[in-house]
Amino acid sequence: MNNEKKEILIKTAKEYFNSGEEEFAKQRYNSALVLYFKALIALTDLHLLQKTKQTPSSHTSRFKICQEKFPEIYNLIDKDFPFYQDSYSHLMSKELVEVIRDDAKIMAKKTETRL
Amino acid sequence: MTQKLWLKKLKLDYNSDVRDIVQFGSSIFEDSDPTDLDVGIIFNKIPIKNQLEESQKIKNQLQKQTKLKIDIKSYDFYSLLHKSNFAREGILFYGKSIISGKEFARQFGLMPKIRIKYDLSDLKKKDKVRFNYALSGKQKNYGLLRKYKGRLISPKIIEINPEHERIFLKKLRSITEKLEVEKIFIQQD
Repeated sequence: MNNEKKEILIKTAKEYFNSGEEEFAKQRYNSALVLYFKALIALTDLHLLQKTKQTPSSHTSRFKICQEKFPEIYNLIDKDFPFYQDSYSHLMSKELVEVIRDDAKIMAKKTETRL
Repeated sequence: MTQKLWLKKLKLDYNSDVRDIVQFGSSIFEDSDPTDLDVGIIFNKIPIKNQLEESQKIKNQLQKQTKLKIDIKSYDFYSLLHKSNFAREGILFYGKSIISGKEFARQFGLMPKIRIKYDLSDLKKKDKVRFNYALSGKQKNYGLLRKYKGRLISPKIIEINPEHERIFLKKLRSITEKLEVEKIFIQQD
């Protein structure tokens, strides 16, 4: 069961990240940000699965688990989450999107995932 | 724990690129019952990555001061003033500096004030009396002006602090709708 979850998380992380790259190349920064953030979250869940054998069922529980057990990751996703929330109503800058992309890469490295 | 972080004289740890830490949004207002606290962090022009990392450190310190969720936004002066920043007025006009404990606008030598002009000419005498009691009090009860340090600056015009806007308007509008509200900055000496 966990292997299946792991495969799904890796597949979705790659798909979101690479779609993010395509949107970024087209200078569609809001779309890119959403996709990079989704990749970041898929990789966060993968990390939780690797370390705790469980995956969270909601953003709330994800944040809670990370805050308690993985503060470094909590700071990463907590820092980026407001931009994901604002992405429907605010224009996102290239520089900001690059930050979220880098954070997704950090989590890819932590989880030993090739994006 | 108070929601007015700017009154707490907090000893925060932040780097020299932080120009100010400003509480804004609904939690500023006197009669508010906010579900979260909005805080804007104003930086010198530095990379966004560095802004966000520093903001997160400050957020973690502020979060220890309140049970309410802290919602952080990071700005440099350009992004703060940009038209796409929907929080611009909330920070510039209503914002309170958590560093200085004073109005954020004072950074620019400006003091934000609300002026309310009222017209009681169409009111019945009893409502005119009610209005004046609301502002100036009756016997031992303080009126809004004394309670919230507002002042009558000329006949039919009062001047109050921005954080008291809602409480004044709520009370005064229960008596008359003939109110004009002006937001102004007064140059400080």
